[in-house]
Amino acid sequence: MTERLPLLARERTVAAPGFNRWLVPPAALAVHLCIGQVYATSVYKGALVAHFDSSLTTVGLIFSVAIAMLGLAAGFGGTWVDRSGPRAAMALSASCWVSGFLVAALGIATDQLWLVFLGYGVIGGIGLGIGYISPVSTLIKWFPDRPGLATGMAIMGFGGGALVASPLSGRLLELYDSGYDASDATTVADGHAVALLFVTLAVLYAVFMAFGAATVRVPPEGWRPAGFDPGAVASAPLVTTAQVSARNAVRTPQFYLLWLVLFCNVTAGIGILEQAAGMIADFFRDNGTSSVTAAAAGGFVGLLSLANMAGRFVWSSTSDLIGRQRIYAVYLGVGLVLYALLASVGSSSTALFVALAALIISFYGGGFATIPAYLRDLFGTYQVGAIHGRLLTAWSAAGIVGPLIVNRFLDAEGEPGSLTASAYQPALFTMVGVLAVGLVANLLVRPVDPRFHEPASAPADETRIPARSDEEARA
Amino acid sequence: MTTRLITAWGLVAVPIAYGLVETIRKASALFTG
Repeated sequence: MTERLPLLARERTVAAPGFNRWLVPPAALAVHLCIGQVYATSVYKGALVAHFDSSLTTVGLIFSVAIAMLGLAAGFGGTWVDRSGPRAAMALSASCWVSGFLVAALGIATDQLWLVFLGYGVIGGIGLGIGYISPVSTLIKWFPDRPGLATGMAIMGFGGGALVASPLSGRLLELYDSGYDASDATTVADGHAVALLFVTLAVLYAVFMAFGAATVRVPPEGWRPAGFDPGAVASAPLVTTAQVSARNAVRTPQFYLLWLVLFCNVTAGIGILEQAAGMIADFFRDNGTSSVTAAAAGGFVGLLSLANMAGRFVWSSTSDLIGRQRIYAVYLGVGLVLYALLASVGSSSTALFVALAALIISFYGGGFATIPAYLRDLFGTYQVGAIHGRLLTAWSAAGIVGPLIVNRFLDAEGEPGSLTASAYQPALFTMVGVLAVGLVANLLVRPVDPRFHEPASAPADETRIPARSDEEARA
Repeated sequence: MTTRLITAWGLVAVPIAYGLVETIRKASALFTG
């Protein structure tokens, strides 16, 4: 790809003297804000069901395909992303994400559901996976002194993408279909409006993602921030200056322990996120009537979105200060106590319920944002993007297992939205067990055996780039 | 460089601010709804 389009080549993205590294986070945010739209699909799910005369399960499958493709593209494309550089990766991600919307819009306009599956699910899903990992290793290289802060900023954008796309999509659907009211759950937009929405989003995302690809730069080899002492960072527990390839990383127990850590953290968080609106109504139901209105339940979902986004930035940045293993001990250890409290005393007060759930979801977001820095600590920067991509298969697996656990327990009790707090206890206590498994896995993480390290002469980066003077491109 | 920085951060800050305001407005229904 980069041979035919030299503008995208990694060598063309090496930062010029005087480049400010703080330009890289907005470039990364621009991409993540766009692909985070995948969590705002509920706005037009009902419209697609009505347009195709289909079921929620079938339409929901489009988004499941997109998330599955995210995991596959990140897993299999990670090595290519590290080799080709962030600009080529962002350009590919933008091409797939934007054309995915356009193909899906064509499918809606011509009444062909398979085109929506192909466009949004398959092509868009590839854009999601490549886009998600595209800025990670670059940010880690620009911010060796604060990798948690850097990746937290970018991955916060993924949480923020839904915050932006959800109200924006509602407004645009109202504009394209005068009979639709986004604040009225009984109205559904027509298919023509959804097709126009997809085309509009495609244009907006093309502009934003092109900005990200044009702005992103990689640091020259050997560059380091002014005053940064790699020795000081490497003296922290579990932080290495050695490099491990992606091929070797998947042979280490550390990779699988972190896979389990991410899997458990995501499984537990998704359990709450999936049922949030029905759950708060059920927790405060007495004699068949809930004291929580539908509008308040919607507000609770909004609050969880904010906690999810904030947790990505706050907790990941905190990990730079207290260390990655300790912050995951907090996510998982404190998290399991919070789950137990939610199950046992959560129904005693709405404020307590909301506070516990928001903190749990902030840990869920924090787990996503901190994992790239944890990988950098253990495996070095050499192929951290590719290793991160392979680890994200834990996300895909948790996306299936988390809702499955909760739905299985709740199905035995009745329909969410008509239950009481006690119906949730088996599922919540199961999540306590899941988090305990993750906590043990995290505590078992030790430094990687030196036999997996690359030889000392190996490059510290996937592609060697001619060095400029160390401080030329500093912030 | 400062202009580029302000432009770049501004470009991403505007949609984030829009999303935050809209979400806070929605979340406020938790306390008023």
